[in-house]
Amino acid sequence: MLTDTETKLLGIMMMLIMLGMGASLTFKDFRIAFKKPQGILIGLLCQYAIMPFLGYTLAVVLGLPPALAIGLILMGCMPGGTTSNIFTYFSKGVLALSIMMTVCSTLVAVAMVPLLLDFYSGLKGLPSEYTVPAGNVAQVLVVLIVPTLIGMVLRKWNPNVGATVELVGGALGIFVILFLILTWVPRNHVLLATTPAAVYAAAIGIGLVGMLLGYLLSKLLRQDPRRSRTIALETGIQNGPLAVLIVVLTFKDEMQQQVLLIPVLYSLFIVLTSSAVTVWFRRITTREDLARDQSKVQTGPVSAAVSG
Amino acid sequence: MPATVYELKPWVAHYGALTARELPPPRHPNLPALLSEAATRYADQIAFTTCMPNGMHGSLTYAQVAAHSDAFAVYLRQALGLAAGTRVALQTPNCLAYPVVAFGILKAGCVLVNTNPLYTPTEMEHQFRDSGAEAVVIVDMFADKLADILARTNIKKVIVVEVPQFFSPVPRAVIRGVMRWWNKVLPPLSIDHVRLPQALAEGAALRQQLKIDPAGYWRDLGHDDLAALQYTGGTTGVAKGAMLSHGNLLNNMEQAIAMGRSHIDDGKEVVLTALPLYHIFAFTLNLLCFYSVGARNVMVPSPRPIQNLQRAFDNYPITWISGVNTLFNALMNEEWFTAFPPRQLKAAVAGGAALQHAVAERWQRITGTRIAEGYGLTESSPVVSFNPMSGTPRPDSIGLPVPGTEVSLVDDHDQPVPLGAPGELIVRGPQVMAGYWQRPDETANTIKDGWLHTGDVAVMDADGYFRIVDRKKDMIVVSGFKVYPNEVEDVIAMMDEVLDVGVIGVTDAKTGEAVRAFVVPQTDGLTEEQVRAFCHQHLTDYKVPKAVEFRRELPKTPVGKVLRKNLKAEYQSRQPA
Repeated sequence: MLTDTETKLLGIMMMLIMLGMGASLTFKDFRIAFKKPQGILIGLLCQYAIMPFLGYTLAVVLGLPPALAIGLILMGCMPGGTTSNIFTYFSKGVLALSIMMTVCSTLVAVAMVPLLLDFYSGLKGLPSEYTVPAGNVAQVLVVLIVPTLIGMVLRKWNPNVGATVELVGGALGIFVILFLILTWVPRNHVLLATTPAAVYAAAIGIGLVGMLLGYLLSKLLRQDPRRSRTIALETGIQNGPLAVLIVVLTFKDEMQQQVLLIPVLYSLFIVLTSSAVTVWFRRITTREDLARDQSKVQTGPVSAAVSG
Repeated sequence: MPATVYELKPWVAHYGALTARELPPPRHPNLPALLSEAATRYADQIAFTTCMPNGMHGSLTYAQVAAHSDAFAVYLRQALGLAAGTRVALQTPNCLAYPVVAFGILKAGCVLVNTNPLYTPTEMEHQFRDSGAEAVVIVDMFADKLADILARTNIKKVIVVEVPQFFSPVPRAVIRGVMRWWNKVLPPLSIDHVRLPQALAEGAALRQQLKIDPAGYWRDLGHDDLAALQYTGGTTGVAKGAMLSHGNLLNNMEQAIAMGRSHIDDGKEVVLTALPLYHIFAFTLNLLCFYSVGARNVMVPSPRPIQNLQRAFDNYPITWISGVNTLFNALMNEEWFTAFPPRQLKAAVAGGAALQHAVAERWQRITGTRIAEGYGLTESSPVVSFNPMSGTPRPDSIGLPVPGTEVSLVDDHDQPVPLGAPGELIVRGPQVMAGYWQRPDETANTIKDGWLHTGDVAVMDADGYFRIVDRKKDMIVVSGFKVYPNEVEDVIAMMDEVLDVGVIGVTDAKTGEAVRAFVVPQTDGLTEEQVRAFCHQHLTDYKVPKAVEFRRELPKTPVGKVLRKNLKAEYQSRQPA
């Protein structure tokens, strides 16, 4: 786990990174995202239908003890994490869509998370009284939306400043990701050594399988490949810190430590798996860009010929 | 002798808004006079903006361009001691340094030698030696290519420019940092050189010190004086320099502007320059024409990948764009372009290679504007014909000859062919070059009686609209029957499984020549039999390729024309001697 100072520092870094992400966007990008709202809806479906079900199923299949099962189901019920936007940016995905999905899933989290927790915990006969801190959810939104908007305005005001901020934000993003990857093994080697395989499978699997299912559902609902990859990342990447916070507020002592295990492990591993997936997605996008650049003109009807 | 159908100029009746049957002679004696007038009239307006793929940008006003190019002219004449008429090579992608240096060379009374920055050292050496250039202005990214060849040329001075030239310090530092350490495209320079800002400072200082009026360098230049050597022949053989005079370029500017006049508001246009300025198409149209009408020129250093243009469209209200078929095609495959096509766009012009029917149609549907297709050659500065901006569009047509131009279609004996019959397109007009630099034989082969023989086979309809059939020398004769590769390529390109295609003629023991197709498949598994079967549905037997060869890509010119001569050379090199 990170110390308080580190957490605060990371929070400030996240705002700076989002400032940079915002500087890469135009208001047109969001209008395109709104013009095709299916993407956002599919994202919500993935977030609150697939992921909680996946968490529950994994808990059952892997035969996790109650405390761990709670942690896993909780992880599945979380809204999308802010880091999904950074990974989407680096994977050359549809950043505006990713941000809109994060915002929407976070907005409805206050209502959806208790509801889903109640339902799935009930299914497993687990305690179902949780404290979802609305204030912290609001904070997530502020940290996400405000810097993004400022970044967009900066870019519109002066493209030179915008491009510089984007570059700095991107560099900071890489730095933070590398920092998290490089420091987590030494920090957590005791925890890693004592964790049983089933817990590993659960903590890593929920992210990876979530991405896969998110991708498949998007493809099934006819999203283009770039949007499908964006939705995949958004689905797999949950808001880990929020899960940790809910556990801390809800459980005490020994129980708290046990329930925390999967959210903590998830938060560690998701950085690693997302980085790998991002590198892979980025290659695919680059290849598609080049192919599109050279492809023949489409003779079919023009669907988006609306001037705005 | 009765007037031929071509001498009657049936196209003049279809000029539409354009009433002048002939153009009045240009008002200016030379290009610098025109450039200076524009700079005075639009002094404080932005003349050029370079827009990088990440949106970083730098701009120069008309007054700044004038001051910098004056300083550069003084530098060339005083600091380097170059004489009037000396050739100076310019080798850079689109960037703010380009207009400053190009205008400076013209103002010095020197001759501009446009050079493709992607040339290999061998090609550079040929062009520098052939032109006798005494100085070269080159972009830092490619300046290392000079090291091996400099000693074998006349070049005495190397002036180095950079893509973010004239940017503010922070964006410039960021771009150079990325180029150096991330993209690794800035090689170390071992050769003796001077950087452009230093050359400009020297020129400005000398100007003040010696109280020089740069206008003295160019005041006496006339229409017949040489302005540029524009190298060509990439598709036919060894590159030769077309001698373009001040008069050629001034006249062609007038001719091109006349065709677009109805869509040009002086001092208000924003033109996107995605094509390279060292190519004659963008040089005359984007650089010269739009400068003279007070437009803002938004230059993109490289339009590939096409996403590089997104920021330019986002940040500037583009009203005009020039491009080639592949560029328009690529734009329309981008969601950011189709979802929000540029609202202020008035017109697009296409040249360089044939504009596909489907591309033109889709463009009109998406942007609500027309792509006017034109036709031209380096040897004619370049514009010969253009589709008018009004009236019904004629698919596949290169339009009407521009005012003041005579066009005729002739057979192998230079006799006019009847209306509707294919013949070699020949051109006479004030835009036709004086000849090839130091190549009287080649000149005599190309210009006969003042008629430029283009080597393109075309047909004219009753209204005076022309349509290109193919290159004359690419024509394939199969058992005495004429086959134009374009026709075969168009058929094969209709197959969904085909991405790209090039067709050439190869020697054949039985039929004299045989048709051979080189196909880049879009999907795996396409077979020779499928291609031939498809051709049989659409073509007479003798036009169907005897052999089909599959490849990953085709050799192409910088503007995307398939280099058939390279395919031929490659095929021949594989044959047993």
